[in-house]
Amino acid sequence: MVSEERRQEVLKSLSEGVVEYREDQVKDSANAALEEGMDAYDAIMNGLAAGMEIVGDLYDRQEYFVPEILMCADALYAGLDILKPHLKTASDSGARGQVVIGTVQGDVHDIGKNLIKMMFDVGGFTVHDLGRDVPLEKFAEEQLRTDAEIVALSAMMTTTMMGMKKVIHMIKEKNPDVAIMLGGAPVTRDVAKLFGADGYAESAGNAVQEAIKMIGQLRKLDQAGMPAK
Amino acid sequence: MAAMTPRERVQKFFRREPVDAMPVFSGMGLVTIQAINKMGIRFAQVHGSADYLARSAMTSADLFGFDSVIVPYDMCTMAEAMGRGVTVYENAEGVLYPTVPDKWTSLDDVKLEEGWIDKARMPKVEEAFKILLKEANGKYAVGAWVLGPFTLGGQVIELDLLLKGAARDRARVEAFMDKMTDAVIDVAKRYQALGVDYMNVREMGSGTDLLSPRMWKQLIQPYLKRIFDELKSPKILHICGGTDLIVDLMNDCGADALSFDQKNNLVETRKKIGNDVILLGNFDPWDTLCQKEAADVPAVMKACIDAGVDAVWPGCDIWPEVKPENVAAWVNTVREYGKKPSPAVGRI
Repeated sequence: MVSEERRQEVLKSLSEGVVEYREDQVKDSANAALEEGMDAYDAIMNGLAAGMEIVGDLYDRQEYFVPEILMCADALYAGLDILKPHLKTASDSGARGQVVIGTVQGDVHDIGKNLIKMMFDVGGFTVHDLGRDVPLEKFAEEQLRTDAEIVALSAMMTTTMMGMKKVIHMIKEKNPDVAIMLGGAPVTRDVAKLFGADGYAESAGNAVQEAIKMIGQLRKLDQAGMPAK
Repeated sequence: MAAMTPRERVQKFFRREPVDAMPVFSGMGLVTIQAINKMGIRFAQVHGSADYLARSAMTSADLFGFDSVIVPYDMCTMAEAMGRGVTVYENAEGVLYPTVPDKWTSLDDVKLEEGWIDKARMPKVEEAFKILLKEANGKYAVGAWVLGPFTLGGQVIELDLLLKGAARDRARVEAFMDKMTDAVIDVAKRYQALGVDYMNVREMGSGTDLLSPRMWKQLIQPYLKRIFDELKSPKILHICGGTDLIVDLMNDCGADALSFDQKNNLVETRKKIGNDVILLGNFDPWDTLCQKEAADVPAVMKACIDAGVDAVWPGCDIWPEVKPENVAAWVNTVREYGKKPSPAVGRI
């Protein structure tokens, strides 16, 4: 077992590597964590995800903008790719739930969608990424196929946002318990409410803020020894 | 005194000469589904025909009393001509704008072939302008727009490559931005040579939702300055999303007018730019024209005018499926409430 002092050192290096978008540092620290017997889930949540929480604070303070967040996300994935195959328990590796995610037909912008996907990846969800410019009926089909609890839809432009309403209707008609999240620049609280969605984020930056808040909640629940789901 | 024609009104407006009333127009799409339906076509058909483009613009202006017509409606014409293709969603229900399906996957792949400017739908857009200038001449002002180089770049290459490259791969990103800037200048000059009445440069993807003011100054401003140096007046700079932090930087680019969407604090912006710059904005087109009750529209227009705009512009293309009574409320309110002088433009 790794000492507490060493554990903290590795976690700090993972976190700093994400914040400073140093992919090599994150890879080295993730490999060190595994070689030295650290728990992969601990390294993800208290190293990588903790770093992303700091990134969220920097975004709030307008020190970081989307380009920096994208580079931080690259660093986070560099670590996640190494650590994720080593998650030990079912609850660590995907039993939190499933999510279907994609950018609606007519929209080929996917930065916000990819940031939200990152949040689900970090949080231990099984993510079914449909990509971008996704025909509306595909969301409903994929939700039915996978029985996913969450469907996350993204549209960057007003001109494609209207498609979201149709998707929500298609899904809720068949399965009213599915939680539907909307994201994208034109999406406001009023639009989400009008369309019958369960949550929203209005830009790539806000998406990551929302994502980071959710990761923070998961970390707190884990630290309190409570079931995360 | 005889009323001005819409074209005279818009031309004088941009010269900052007194006008009879605030013009009702835009530098972005003004096509309505009512015009499309009246022509008996589907929205997906309009983008590929010079005649449909011109007629739908004129029919929209005829139906609702706009002072201008403007084409094209989609943001793919240049990217398509550069070889990136276009998806028009011919079988989609309702209104869906074309998109670019095939982006270059690295900065190294970006090559503009000789003669790209005459490929795909580019000649059709030019033909549409010629029809408009001939048939709407003297009646409506004819507006044109181009994407800014960063936004055009996002149409032809993955945006995250550009955003991350700005920090990690500056020299190659600058070379790419130079290419896009040359392309924007070439196209805008062609439209200006045809005789359009105003040119709107829409650097819509560059707001502070994405970029820091510092990065905007380094990655966006130098290229916009070069564009506005090369273009004739009247020339407008429009940016969507977060703009409050970059108003001064935008104002230094050399445009005659600045246009903002509904996220901008116009009162503060007017203080920053003074009364010598034409300010345009900034109602939420989808909410105002498609969602609100018509009775609530005048308050939106009056709020824009009270905040200090010289003309009330939508923050983006209007969503074609407008409520006709809301558009009428927009036009009527601006005509009436806009009789008084605005900060940069007087009245006769």
